[in-house]
This record gives sequence, structure tokens and C-alpha cells, in this order.
Amino acid sequence: MEERRGPVRRTPPEAALTSRRVLGRFARIAAAGLLVTAGVAEACEVPAGFTARERLTSQDVVVMFRTVPAAIEIGRHFSVEAIVCATPPTQGLRVDAQMPEHRHGMNYRPTVATTGDGRFVAQGLLFHMPGRWQLLFDVERGGRTERLATDLLVE
Amino acid sequence: MSGHARRLAALVVGAAWLAGAAASAQPGLGLEAAEIRRILRHGPWPPPAARDPSNRVSGDPTAIALGQRLFFERRLSANGAIACATCHAPERAWVDGRPRGVGLATLDRNTPTVLDAALHRWFAWDGRSDSLWSQGVKAIVDPREMGAGAPHVAAVVGADPTLRCLYERVYGPRAGGSDEPVLVNVGKALAAFLETVRSGRTPFDEFRDALARGDLSAAARYPLGARRGLKTFVGQGSCGVCHVGPHFTNGEFHDVGMPFVVAPGRVDGGRHEGIKRLRADRFNLLGPYNDDPTAASATKTRHVEPQHVNFGQFKTPSLRNVALTAPYMHDGRLATVRDVVRHYSRLDMERIHTHGEQLLRPLRLSEAEIDDLVAFLETLTDPHVPVGLPPAAAPEACTDRG
Repeated sequence: MEERRGPVRRTPPEAALTSRRVLGRFARIAAAGLLVTAGVAEACEVPAGFTARERLTSQDVVVMFRTVPAAIEIGRHFSVEAIVCATPPTQGLRVDAQMPEHRHGMNYRPTVATTGDGRFVAQGLLFHMPGRWQLLFDVERGGRTERLATDLLVE
Repeated sequence: MSGHARRLAALVVGAAWLAGAAASAQPGLGLEAAEIRRILRHGPWPPPAARDPSNRVSGDPTAIALGQRLFFERRLSANGAIACATCHAPERAWVDGRPRGVGLATLDRNTPTVLDAALHRWFAWDGRSDSLWSQGVKAIVDPREMGAGAPHVAAVVGADPTLRCLYERVYGPRAGGSDEPVLVNVGKALAAFLETVRSGRTPFDEFRDALARGDLSAAARYPLGARRGLKTFVGQGSCGVCHVGPHFTNGEFHDVGMPFVVAPGRVDGGRHEGIKRLRADRFNLLGPYNDDPTAASATKTRHVEPQHVNFGQFKTPSLRNVALTAPYMHDGRLATVRDVVRHYSRLDMERIHTHGEQLLRPLRLSEAEIDDLVAFLETLTDPHVPVGLPPAAAPEACTDRG
């Protein structure tokens, strides 16, 4: 049983849709930098059949992800399916998690495989304690790694 | 408002009513809604039985009968004097009552109970095994435990008419060749039996279920001291963070400030060593003996990896029937449940790794609070825990061959 808490550079899907409409309306008069950001966001559409649990954004990276199973249970392995849109394009993705208050991570190292087109599957995650977990996405592109994170409260 | 939320609200109102009803003889429950939510997560109990996909004879009645005979079979050991039941004695809640186990030699660790063993993710204090059957194999071949090799085990099974008959009914006639598959099959039969060694309901479970259905009068029958101890357990003590869920364990590993020096110059590496042994184990779930065609059972093994923090970590034991399994901790150094509670009350932070987790703090409990926590832990005892189980009778077809 779990709930999400504490927005960390993330945009809920509904809010993201609203932003896209606003950006579309004023795109012609937007600054060039904003156009780059809007371009990444615009290009990053949810594929049919993929219900994103959350959408995390930074200036030029968007990560949409869902967990399998959808509900994370203490002591049960789960996977994370992610779609990453970035400029320049993503070269790789690492997925990990930690409990900041407890100062530890997971006891398992997820493996990440890509299916192309910016789609990734991380397997082998397991939360072994209730509390606040931080799910981490390290996006590699253009020789840099950018971290996007979100909080999950698991009980 | 969901049915569950309505019941919870009723409980809180009821608890407040009971707490305020000082004039009545009935004590209040004295539990907040958040505490009730946490308590409910420790049930229901027992969980439904589940087959182990890595063991093709899991749940097979004949394999269970074979495993039960093998569990009490002293001839499986190198000296013919030690059975699994020597250390996991049914009449002692499946432990030996000693600080450290004694097989062919004295071991470094306390003997854990095999009650509800099938529910664990990892086996042994350091999680060196990823299946119940491979842990059985390790105990048989460990030179300090039973000290037998595969040829010895195959010879014992082959020479005893009843064992041989049961074995062949489960696995078919031996094909010849290596004895190793016989050793593994013995481990799988033992595991099939151990999966049936399960504890039943406890006074805590009655209380928890009464809370779940909103039955305040039944809940009020739970002893007041135990209720106060439970409140500490799910609240101030944060005990339920590691001793989580219906089995009261997260099945993982922690440094709780216990010394890990076994002898001068020799330390017990705990989980760090366990992961190294697991990876080197040809009987692990990544090896050729895993019967799970989906390989899903090996997910944990595929993704676990040693970290520096694992040094000195030991498995979180279940607290079910804890009052029956003294002495305590990985090396049996604490004699009573009260000693364990005192350990957490006075926790020596100097003994916990500086890079360790920041969850543990001395609880600084009063003597009365220690009494209450002990009283709660004692209510996790199944009064009908299976004891003194005799060797299984062989199925009819296997009794006339001797």
C-alpha cells in the first residue's frame, strides 16, 4: 500500500497536458530557450496503452514511468517501465531508490534494459521497509548525467 | 467513505468512548487511528500455503512424507548421530535452546527455528541460501553441521528400503551417474516437509482481527500490558519498520549493534559473507537445479549484490513464537526476550557502523515499558505450535519392503 508524496521536479499528467496547451497557445511568441523545452515536452507523448504513473520533468528531460505491478508492496520485487525524452537524446538510464531518512538504499541493484525509442525497463527493485522512498532516474545524454527523482510513501 | 474507513472511524470513536468510560470496568483501547492501521498490517494470519516454484515436489504428499522421515534420519550425517531434528528439535519450537548450534562442531551462530521457514526470502542468518531446499543441502554437507557428501546421502537413501521406495515414488528410479541430483532431491523433499511446519493463530491475531472487524468487546479482552507494549512496538519503538507484516520480519538484513567478533582475530561478516557464499553456490536459484521454468524465483538472486554496509548485518528474525526460541540474536548471546528489549532500550550507538542506517536510537524504556513490550511479544505465541512431531508413517505401499 503506498501513496506518492513530495513533488521533486515532476509534473502530474493532467498538469502536463495543461502546460502543453498553454505552450501551444503562446508558442509563436515564446523565447528560443522555452521553445527547446516545449519541444522536448511536446515530443514526449505517452504511447497508446502506457498509463504513466507520473511524469518528471527538467529543462530538457522528461521521464514518464509506471511500476509493474502498479501498487508497490513491501518485500515484493517490482519493475519500472520508463519513457525518456531528452535533447540531446538519451544514451542510457539508471534507476535506483533510497530512503533518505534512514540513509540507505535498496539491497538490490536493478538492471535496466532498453527496447529502443527512449523506452526502458528496470527490473529487480524491492523496497524492504515502510516509509519514504525516493525513486531515482539518472539520465545519461551528451556526456552528462541528469538526475530526476520523486518520492513514494510506501506503507 | 469505504467500509474499511467506516470501521476505522468506528474504532476510533469506540476507543475514545471506552477511554472515556472510566466509570465502567472495561479499559479503553487507547489506540490512535494511525496505530490501528499499523497493527492491522501485521495480519491476517496464517497466510495461505503457497508452493515453491523452484521445487517441483513442493506440496507433494509423498515428498512431504519422505522429507519428514529424512528430517529425523541421523544416518544422513557423516557420524550417523546428527539429524536435522537434532538442532531443530520439534519439542523445543524447532530450535535447540543453545546459544550456538552444535553439529559435528560448535557453530558460530544460534540455531533459527524452522517454524514458518517457507515464508522467508533468504535462509540462515546471513542469507547464504536463496531457497529452503538449498539451505537443507548446505546443512547436510557443511563439515561443521552434518558433514556428509552426496555419495553418503545417496548410499543412505539407496540402502534403506522405505527411504528408497519413497524416493522412487517421488522422483522415479535413479538413473545412475552423479550422486549430486540425489542430494538435491533430498533437500527438496526436506523442504516439502518443512513447508508444512507452520505456526497457527496467537492471542495477538485474535486482537488484530477483532480490530479489523470493529469488535471492541473482543479487542478489549487482549491484555492491557500487551496492548501498551504493542503501542510502543508500532509507535515510539519503530520496531515494525523491520519486523514488518504478518510474519513480523522484512526478511532482510540489519546491523543492530551486536558484536560480530567470533573469537580473537576472527569476525563474522554476516550478510556480506552470505552474499559471497550465495554467489559461489552451485545450488542457488541461478543454477541448474531450479525447477522454476519462468526463472521469476531467481529475481532476488540475480539482483542482490554485496555492499560495504552489509558487513555485520544479520537477518531480521520473525517474532512469531519468539518467546519459545531462546536464546536470541545471531550468536545467541541474549538469554531472554527481556534481554533483547533491554538491548534496544540501551542501544550502544558506538557499535553500529558509522555508515549504517539512522533508524536505530536507544529507546530508553522504563522498566514498566519493558514489561509491556515483553508482554506484547509473548502474545505472538501460538499455544498449539506443532511440537514433538514423530517421524512420518510411510505410505502403505512402502511399508512392506523392509
